[in-house]
Order: sequence, then structure tokens, then C-alpha cells
Amino acid sequence: MLSSDQILQMLRTAFAELFEIDPARVTPTTRLSEDLEIDSIDAVDLIDRVRRVIGKKVSPEDFRSVRTVGDLVQAIERLAKG
Amino acid sequence: MLKSISYCWRLPATALCFAMFGLLGLVSGVLVFPLVRLVPGRKATRRRRVRALFRFGMRFFVEFMRAVGVLTYEFRDTRRLGRPGQMILANHPSLIDVVFLIAFTPQPLCIVKAAMWRNPFTRWPVMAAGFVSNDSTFDMVEQTAAALAEGQSVIIFPEGTRTTPGQALQFHRGAANIAVKAALIVTPVFIRCDPTTLAKNMPWYRIPPRRVRFTFRVGTDIDLAEFRKAPPPLASRALNEHLLQVFADELRSGGRPAQEPADRLLRA
Repeated sequence: MLSSDQILQMLRTAFAELFEIDPARVTPTTRLSEDLEIDSIDAVDLIDRVRRVIGKKVSPEDFRSVRTVGDLVQAIERLAKG
Repeated sequence: MLKSISYCWRLPATALCFAMFGLLGLVSGVLVFPLVRLVPGRKATRRRRVRALFRFGMRFFVEFMRAVGVLTYEFRDTRRLGRPGQMILANHPSLIDVVFLIAFTPQPLCIVKAAMWRNPFTRWPVMAAGFVSNDSTFDMVEQTAAALAEGQSVIIFPEGTRTTPGQALQFHRGAANIAVKAALIVTPVFIRCDPTTLAKNMPWYRIPPRRVRFTFRVGTDIDLAEFRKAPPPLASRALNEHLLQVFADELRSGGRPAQEPADRLLRA
């Protein structure tokens, strides 16, 4: 079972590897599009990464209301459980 | 005098072309394609038949427009289009660019705007041919990458919409993203349309002062190996920048290959 901390760590690694974003900038309140400049194309790659990490089928619908890194952590937690 | 005769003819001729396009869309969409799809065969085989007919229809339409005198065109090196896993990227100066690209690409899969699925003249043809909508970024990327991986050729306008005349070229990163993921070959096609016709926000009856000339040049394939060394999001950003540069250079240079002057200097 993944804890929120583990998910956050996973996201920090993903952001660093995919987008060269400094892990220190990735906190639960960081806004994805405004602060990290993640656009809809980046989201595709990010969702792809999440899918591989949690090993479950995910769809963009699952992330519709995600605005911040914290929202993303919660969405992934939900998916990992479900 | 001659000019005004040309103008007076080209206005109804343009209307005739629109009517012909609508007729082709309706007849093929509600009659021809559904009948062809009834012919038994595997899903891929049936799609091939529809696309072959689609291409034939667009080729007919291109020659129709030329025959009634609204345009002339030149499209060289068409044999380099339609290779398996090829992504064909083109700039988008006019409404009918896609008509030419379909007419000259064997077995094309096009990414077209979602509105095509709502237009009664285009919805059945795009559905029957299995075209992909640019509606949802996620689905578009997934479906197009899958099609390329299975060896289909894909036509994309990376601008995502028609060029706004007088503004700097802008590409959406979706095309570059898909290319990095799944394309075997990326080939640019440079389209010129002189004078501007059927551009964004131009009504059909605002016809140009003289007959339009379309020129299509199939550019050199773009090597993806260098770009693929970086993770996909960075690679697609770098490729997107490169593509923009390639198109901007070509379209500024007046249609001659951008590297030509440099080569000549070196030889001199």
C-alpha cells in the first residue's frame, strides 16, 4: 500500500526525470499548471508514468479536478486503493 | 477586363466547388462508405478500403477544382508519403490543405478537429475512415501513437488550426509528443498558397484577385534519434522547437530548401 509520502516522493522523482523540475519545488500546495507549467501534453506523459507505477489502468477523467500536487497525491491514493 | 472575367467566373466556380465537396461528403458518407464497410473482411482491411476510396474522392475533388479553374497546384515527391509509421507534418494556410494531403497520401489517417464530427457533410466520412479527433489531448495522443506503432501513416497539422495570416507560426506540442513516442519517420510538408485563400476567418465568397496556386514540397525526413535521448516531455519540447525552426526557415525562404544558399557558399 502506498502512503501519501511515498506517492509524493514518487512524484518528485517523476517531475525531476520527466521535466527536470527541482524536487524542492514539488510540495503539496504547488500548483501544476501555474507553478510548474505542466500543460495538457505533459499531463499525458505524467498520467502514463502514474499508470506504470501503480500498475492500474487510469484515465484522464480521474485527474479532472486536480489542480495542485496535493490533489494529485490524493487522486493517486484513491486509484491505488480502488 | 480579363481579370474581371476571371473573377466573375471564379466566384460561382468556388460555390460549385463547395457544393461538390458537400455532395461528395454526403454521398460517400451515407451511401458509399457504409456499403463498402458491409463487404466482409478484417477490420483493418475494411478500413483500408474506405481510406483508398476516401483518397480517390479527394483526388477527384482536387482535379475538379483545377478543372473549373479556381486553382492550380504542384505537389512533388508524393512517393515519399504514406510510408509505414510515417508522421506527416504540414503547415495549414488554407481550409483545403487536408484535401490535398489525403489525395496524395496512400492510406492516410488524419487528426482533424472535433467539429468535423458535427458537420453533416464530413461526419460520416471521418468516422468511416477512422480519423482521430483533436478533442481530448489524452485520447488523441494515445490513439495516434497506437496507429503509428501499428504502421499507419498519420497526417497532422501541428498548428492545431489554420495559420493566422501575418502572425508568427505556433505549434502545439502534441504532434512532437506523439512523434517522439511512436513515429518511425517524421516528414514535413511545406504548403504555400498564393494568394491567400480560405484562411482562418475568411468567408468562402471572399475569393482572391487571381487564381490560387498551391505548392506542396515534401521536406527531408527529420531524424528523431538525437531527440529520443531525453525523457519524452523534454524531447518533445526540443523537437517542437526544431520543427518550428524548420518550417519558419522554409516558409521564409520562398520555397527553396533552406540549406541551399549555405551549400552554395561552401562550394564557391
